[in-house]
Amino acid sequence: MSELNLNEDQQDCLQEIINVAMGQASDQLARFLDTFVYLKVPSIEQVSTLSLIETLSSNENSAAVVSQGFFGYEGIRGEALLVYKPKDSDRLADLLGYEPDELSVEEQIIDLSSILTTTFLNVFAKQIDNQMSYSAPRLLAGSQSAVSDHLAQQSFNWDLALKVKITYQVTDYSFNCDMILFIPESAINNIKSVIDRILEEF
Amino acid sequence: MYSNDICIDITNKLNTGVLIIDNQYNIVFWNRYLEIHSNRKTDDVVGNNIFQVFPELPQKWLKRKVEGVFQLKSQSFCSWEQRHHLFELQHTRPISTNSHFMAQNCTFLPLERKDGSDNVCILIEDVTDVCHYQTMLNKTLEELAQSNRIDGLTQIFNRKHWEECLEKEFSRARRYQHGLALIMFDLDHFKLLNDTYGHLGGDLVLIETAKIISSLLRLGDLFGRYGGEEFAIILPNTDIVGALDVAERIRVAISKNVINFQKSEIKVTASVGVAVISEEDTRYEDLISNTDLALYDAKASGRNIVCVAKHLIEA
Amino acid sequence: MSFSVLVCDDSNMARKQVLRSLPEQLSANAQLAKNGQEAVELLRSQQFDILFLDLTMPVLDGLGVLQALKDENITPAIFVISADIQPEMQNKVLELGAKAFMRKPVQLDVLNTNLKSHGFL
Repeated sequence: MSELNLNEDQQDCLQEIINVAMGQASDQLARFLDTFVYLKVPSIEQVSTLSLIETLSSNENSAAVVSQGFFGYEGIRGEALLVYKPKDSDRLADLLGYEPDELSVEEQIIDLSSILTTTFLNVFAKQIDNQMSYSAPRLLAGSQSAVSDHLAQQSFNWDLALKVKITYQVTDYSFNCDMILFIPESAINNIKSVIDRILEEF
Repeated sequence: MYSNDICIDITNKLNTGVLIIDNQYNIVFWNRYLEIHSNRKTDDVVGNNIFQVFPELPQKWLKRKVEGVFQLKSQSFCSWEQRHHLFELQHTRPISTNSHFMAQNCTFLPLERKDGSDNVCILIEDVTDVCHYQTMLNKTLEELAQSNRIDGLTQIFNRKHWEECLEKEFSRARRYQHGLALIMFDLDHFKLLNDTYGHLGGDLVLIETAKIISSLLRLGDLFGRYGGEEFAIILPNTDIVGALDVAERIRVAISKNVINFQKSEIKVTASVGVAVISEEDTRYEDLISNTDLALYDAKASGRNIVCVAKHLIEA
Repeated sequence: MSFSVLVCDDSNMARKQVLRSLPEQLSANAQLAKNGQEAVELLRSQQFDILFLDLTMPVLDGLGVLQALKDENITPAIFVISADIQPEMQNKVLELGAKAFMRKPVQLDVLNTNLKSHGFL
């Protein structure tokens, strides 16, 4: 399995880029939801695909998983997996500004996940002088086989999984979600060189 | 760089609808694909409000969706799996489907114009084929799953699925402190019946018995074939009194029923065991054990009888 | 004229970004803190004229620092530099005594303007 193999400086740089992206995305989200989003420092860790599948399938209440592909320049592309447990799905519609019966639970989860993914990745991309396009988000069934089947079908080598743990707390409604970015081997080096480029400025 | 003319040319030859609106929801541009599929003229459309041109659009939902794109400057999507279609456009696929209208995947893209104004571009993709085949696939998979749960002969739940149901009902009963009863019955002298009338006769008896008992049960009761001639019923939210009542009705129904096979009239009886969930039961297998013991008692007591798990009588 | 500076941020890169953007006389002897706890301890033991403060930090976060300094009446000029840019947050830090709020990544001209308007340049 490929490793990102970042040294301390590179790791720090990546963390900082993600922090800033998270901060701006949260702000955009908060404006859109007309609420306040309480932000925690997103933790980043590299995960092996095996442990990931185990984690995804070990959850008691089947977590909702939404997957969305992203592609940018310089070969920086991959798939974003948003894993979360909607504790109170009735509130989601309300949170997104819809009447509860206006859209199905699935639609609510997909919409919210798409907003979280695209706002974050847009800001992330901007910081590394890049721009992202996206494929339509898809809701994967919460079972282990569905997720692992889905991942197995990806045409690229999804060796590396970067797990960015996002905790969003929205005033009176809290939900956690993990955003997992699958990045193919070919993109890893691109990201490293971008990070090095940024570090060179210091 | 390609000139504008070529871009517009390509846009009008695309097999995808391109619709651009401004922040007042007026249509700024649309392509030939839409002109053809909506059967309207460009002159009647461009410059007008999108909800006026397409009154079928869910206004509140769409406005909220598009606001998101304007505000977050980010793409948004709507797939046919969430909403079959947004725009009522005729589909031209050479297959007959349930709907006259094309199934659509729509993409909403933020566009910033040179003059600083914000537009949203809606891409409309015909996915009628995908919808049709996916729906068929889902139906087939559902049927497959169903056949995995059903006993082929009697068309009631097979043992595997029935046990899975019991496991779920057991933990639910534990969690919410509800009642749960189990009835297990076994057709008496079935081997003799098979030897006398052959397997076809035996099978018919099983099929008929399953039918009759099914009609006696409530919607939430779970009826399964536990063994060759053994059946089991899960009765959620039922106490011993209710369960005994059902068990007796089952016994009577089976003993009264006459099965016409070839030129014979087959009669059969059943031994019935009953148990309800009790404090000592830690797993669903305990409940099966108790009911099974009661069934054994029924056999030992002369058959064609209902017996209750002993520890419940003592209680 | 030289002022004593403390830069508090859990990110090494962010600390460097601030230092890089400061004029020589301010960055030369600037001290660094990795989290709010460290910063408060330093501020208790030494006099600092300027504090650059991040908000999202482990152990003790930016708001925690602001509250502690307010409670203990320690008053450097506090400039918050943060990734969390929500207006509510900005208002909150100003209420708790910060002089200004700047978004990350910190811009040279924005920093200079703020320092100037508070008499540090």
